[in-house]
Order: sequence, then structure tokens, then C-alpha cells
Amino acid sequence: MAQIRNNFSEWINQQVGTTSTFAFSDALRTPSLSRLAAGVFPTRKDEEWKYTPLSNLLDTSPAEDTSAALDLESIEGLKQAMPDAHTIVFVNGEYSADYSDKLEHLGSSGLSISHLSQLEGNALQLAEDTILESTLTDDNIFQHIALGLSQNGLFIEVEKNVESETPLHIIHVSTAHGVSAFTNPVNVIRLAENSHLKIVEQYASIGEAAVITVPAGYIQLDDGAGLDYYRVSIENAETNHVCNTSVRVSGSGTFKSHQYLLGSKLTRSNLEVGFTGPGGEAVLRGVYLGDENQHLDVRTYLDHAQPHCSSDQHFRGILNGQARGVFNGLVLVREQAQKTDAQQSNKNLLLSRDARVDTKPQLEIFADDVKCAHGATVGELDSDALFYLQSRGIDKKDAALMLTRAFAAEVTQEIDIASLQAYVQSKIAASLDEIVTPNV
Amino acid sequence: MLSIKNLQVSVEEKPILKGLNLEVKPGEIHAIMGPNGSGKSTLAHVLSGREGYSVDSGSAHYKGLDLLDMAPEIRAREGMFLAFQYPIEIPGVNNTSFLKKALNEIRKHRGEEELDAIDFLGLIKQQMKLVEMKADLLKRPVNQGFSGGEKKRNEILQMAVLNPTLAILDETDSGLDIDALRIVAGGVNKLRSADNAFVVITHYQRLLDYIVPDFVHVLSDGQIIKSGTKELALELEERGYDWLIEKAESQV
Repeated sequence: MAQIRNNFSEWINQQVGTTSTFAFSDALRTPSLSRLAAGVFPTRKDEEWKYTPLSNLLDTSPAEDTSAALDLESIEGLKQAMPDAHTIVFVNGEYSADYSDKLEHLGSSGLSISHLSQLEGNALQLAEDTILESTLTDDNIFQHIALGLSQNGLFIEVEKNVESETPLHIIHVSTAHGVSAFTNPVNVIRLAENSHLKIVEQYASIGEAAVITVPAGYIQLDDGAGLDYYRVSIENAETNHVCNTSVRVSGSGTFKSHQYLLGSKLTRSNLEVGFTGPGGEAVLRGVYLGDENQHLDVRTYLDHAQPHCSSDQHFRGILNGQARGVFNGLVLVREQAQKTDAQQSNKNLLLSRDARVDTKPQLEIFADDVKCAHGATVGELDSDALFYLQSRGIDKKDAALMLTRAFAAEVTQEIDIASLQAYVQSKIAASLDEIVTPNV
Repeated sequence: MLSIKNLQVSVEEKPILKGLNLEVKPGEIHAIMGPNGSGKSTLAHVLSGREGYSVDSGSAHYKGLDLLDMAPEIRAREGMFLAFQYPIEIPGVNNTSFLKKALNEIRKHRGEEELDAIDFLGLIKQQMKLVEMKADLLKRPVNQGFSGGEKKRNEILQMAVLNPTLAILDETDSGLDIDALRIVAGGVNKLRSADNAFVVITHYQRLLDYIVPDFVHVLSDGQIIKSGTKELALELEERGYDWLIEKAESQV
């Protein structure tokens, strides 16, 4: 029986003192554990956390929850998003051999997937290097939680020149049934020269446990490599989710990312991309959809440290009730990064008087021959468009639904996996169907 | 079919329509002409149910129903159609699925079976020939990136598919070149029948060379100051509006 404690910080301290069975990289774990032992979570006085209160998360102590157990039907439901993928399932942060496809069968295709805890020798070194080299932000306590406490994780590698046709579908499902409501998977992804892979990471809950999810991803793309990385989070309304993804694109690699934040009480998604060679490309897309008291915070940091790289960001928010959205995107163009092309757009649709968004697209440019633009909008549904649809026989609620779905579809239409696009669009449509009223 | 009696409408407490009367019967085409600011577009908007207009007095009945008491979508389902002066661009909403949804809402209202995708495509392809519209415009979002002429053709296409009983064309000719004007007017002429009626609102006479009206009304300062047949439009073309307006004022 897990002891119920009063807050997250105390709970973390207790974990730090507990012997872990996780054998991955003492070199990384030891400093992270010392940092955790020192405690201190950010407050809203920190510029980085100005718009996002952690009070609810810090008041939560991960406990067991018996509201629901895992069942096969729920897993099958989650698999619907990607019926033609290699599926890997984590339950409460732990790899589930029962629900996952057999990893060893994938080896011959040039794609290899190993458990971080089983790495040794060169592979371990490569995973450690990937983590250290991709990380741009120092002293991020949530990254230390991931590296210091994680019990599970994957090292995903694609060999040189391999086009990995079948996407990987990684499902993280939380129930907190019989374990603490805490999960922090770490994934390390490395694509060698001119290799390609698509990954879909999906976060879901079964039951109503107040789970704290702190995942971390570290990605390295070598010359000419391309990763399409999709994240779909639809967790229950009690979940706090703080994730960090660090990406390093070395010369002419392409990183495409889509994030769909459709659930949770609080989500803070931090995505940082550094270019370490000329010709790299990053395409970042996302939709956050919040209702009631949800708080959804998307943060991006693009470090243009090399010339001839491009980044293109497009994030959209739909907020109802008292929900709050945050977009904070920083594009740094360093002095040597000539011919940078950086575009950043954030558009928000507020469906209620009490919904709110804070949007802060930022450009810091130190090079003189660059093409950079950014923009943000916050608005309501277009009354002219509503009337136009009504004048053709469509009632006001349906008209509002069409317009809000279309608003999200401007992003989701770029999902280039048909089943995933249909899945995400149907989840967005289902949420909108509940929150859009005839009185919008 | 449409009976407007002493209609008085204001916008932000400024009177725009000041006692307008109009009777439209099935099979008729009525042209409403008038100078800028005379209230032409306000009339179109009030009849279609747009917000922001206050009806201070008078009535408008359509097929015996109190039009001013109906939501815009109900008016449409009952067979009314407004061709917009400035059709709205709707990013992300596909032109075909929008029109299919609209048609099926109207069919449901009439107690008819909804059309499936195949039947609908058959219908729309047939109607597109009527307005000589390029097929790729159907795949695009509603009116987005359409030229002025393409937007107006799209309005007439919607009208053809929805097959209204009463269509109000609000300055459909504005911004059209002569070829587009001919196509748009051709669409209207093919749709006219003994059972439906059109109210064509226009500033210029030239549209009426192509859509020949049964009646022409001159709207000035919120009232119809003269009604006549198509010859009145020709006279207006020659003499302008001023002589009529002066005459009307001298009679007050």
C-alpha cells in the first residue's frame, strides 16, 4: 500500500531516496537525482512559468487509484488511431509485453527498438550522447524528474538510408491501478543519415486517477534524416502533464512535429529544436483544445545556430468555459545563421467570455540576411460566416461547429497518416460537439 | 408569396427603411433599383434575417408565414435564398460538403430523404454546367481565393442546387464583367418558373438587359417612390435617379 503524502515535492524526495531498479545511465541519473534532492519547483515569478501555475500539480501526491483497471477493449480503442503500425504499449509508465507487438521482429527492417535499461557499450554511449547533445535548456526540473526517476523507456534507432515504412505507435495509458499515479517515460530517438521514420505517441487515461505525467524525449537527426513525430494527448480532466522534447537536427535533416492537446487538467508541452548544421528544416504544428478549467501551455524554442535552416510553426487554440491557453514561442537566430527562414503563427478562437489565451511569439534575430515573420491572433467566431451558413439552411449550432472544426482542420489537414488524421479530427469533433452551443 | 407592408427598419437607431410596401407573386421577377444609400441592401438583409437591424414597424409575410419572426436557417429551409453582394470566404469548410449539408437540411425540413454523396455529386455536376463553373472550385474552401466573378457564380450555383421558391439577388451584378454577367443571368433565366419568384436588387440597368423583370421599383430614402414595368429601367438608364427623387420630394 503506497503511503499517501501531501504534495508532489515530498513525494519526489521520497522517490529520490528509494533504490531504483532502473539501470540506464548512472552518468545522467546521478546529477539529476542531486538536483531533485535540492528540490525547488518554479513559481509564477519565473518568467518561463508566468502564465502557468503549478499549484494543482504540486498539491498532488501520486497515489493509487482503483476507479478503473485496464482492459483489452480500451487498448483496442486506442490502437484505432493507427491500425497499420508497430504498436508499443506502456501501462502506467511500464512497458507492456502483453499489449505490444514483438520488438525483436523489427530488427531486420533497419529499425531497432531497445529498452533503455538494457543498453550497454556503444549503444548506451550513443543514447547518452543523444540526450546530452539534444538538450538546449539547462536546469529544467521536469527533465531531471524524467532522467532521475524514469523506470522505463525506449531507444529507437533507424540505420543509415533506411526508409522505415511502417509507423511506430507508442501508446501510454494510465490507470494508476495498483501503482502510484505517476508516469515518466523517456524516449531516445536517433535517425542515422538519410533514414526516415514516423512515430505517433499517444497519451490516454482509463478511469479518473489524478495522474502526473512527466515524459521526456530526446531526438537526434543526422544529415538528410527525416522524422515525422506526432503527439496526441487525450488524458482525463485530473491529469497534470508536463513534457519536454529536445531535438537536434544536424545538416539537412527534417523534423516534423504535430501536437494535439485535447485533454488533461494541465498540460505544459515544451519543445526545443536546435540546428547544428546548415540546411535543416523544422515544421511544427499543433492544436490545443480546452474547456472548463483546463490549462494548456505550448512552448517552443527554435535555436537557429546554423545558416540556411528553416522553421515553420503553426499552432491553433480553441478555448471554451474558463479554459486558458498559452503559446510561447521563441525563435533565436544567431549571428552566423544567415539565410534563415523562420515563420511562426499562432491563432486562437475563444468560444466563451471567460476563456483566455496568452500568446507570445518572439523573434530574436542577430543575423542580417534572414526571412522571419511571426503573428498571433485571438478572436471569436466570424459572425458573417455564421450568418452565411445559416442563410443556406444550416442552424446556428451546426454552423458554429462547422467553423470551429474548420479552424482546427487548417492544422489537422496536414497530418499525412490517413487513419491518424481521421482519429484526431473525430476526437476534436466530439469535443466540439459537447462544448459548442447554439448561443455562441 | 411575399407581402411587405409599411416596413420600417433602423440600424443603430437611424431609420433606413421608412414604410416600404411590396407584393411579389409566384412566377414574377421584381427589380428593385435605387441610388446608393437608398436602403436596397438593408431590405435584402432584413428579409434574410441578418442581425443588427431593428424592425420598428410593419410586417413581412412569406407564404403566409411571419418572416420577421423566423430564424435565418428556417427562412432558407422554407425556400428563401439570398445571393450575397459580398459572398463570405470560409476557410477550411469545403465547398461541396457545405452545399450538401445545406441541401440536406432543406430536404429534411421538407420531409424529403437526404441525398447521399453520389446522388449529390450527380446533381451538382449538372448544375455547374449552368453557371460554367470550373470543377476544382468545388474542392476548395467556400469562396476562398475565388475571383469576384467566381464568387458570384458560386452563389448562383448554390441557388440552382437549393432550388428556392423566392430568391433575392443583392447586387449580384456588381463587379462582374459582361461575360460573367451573361452567365449569371443565364442561370437565373433557366431557373425561373411559374412557381418561383425573384427579387433582383441592382444599381444599374444593364443586368436587366439579361434578366427581364416583370416589375421595376425605384427605392429612394427607404421608400418605393415609383413602380413600373421594364421600360422604367430604361428610362432610369437614360435620365438617372435625380428627376424621380426630386419629383417624389415635391409631392411630400
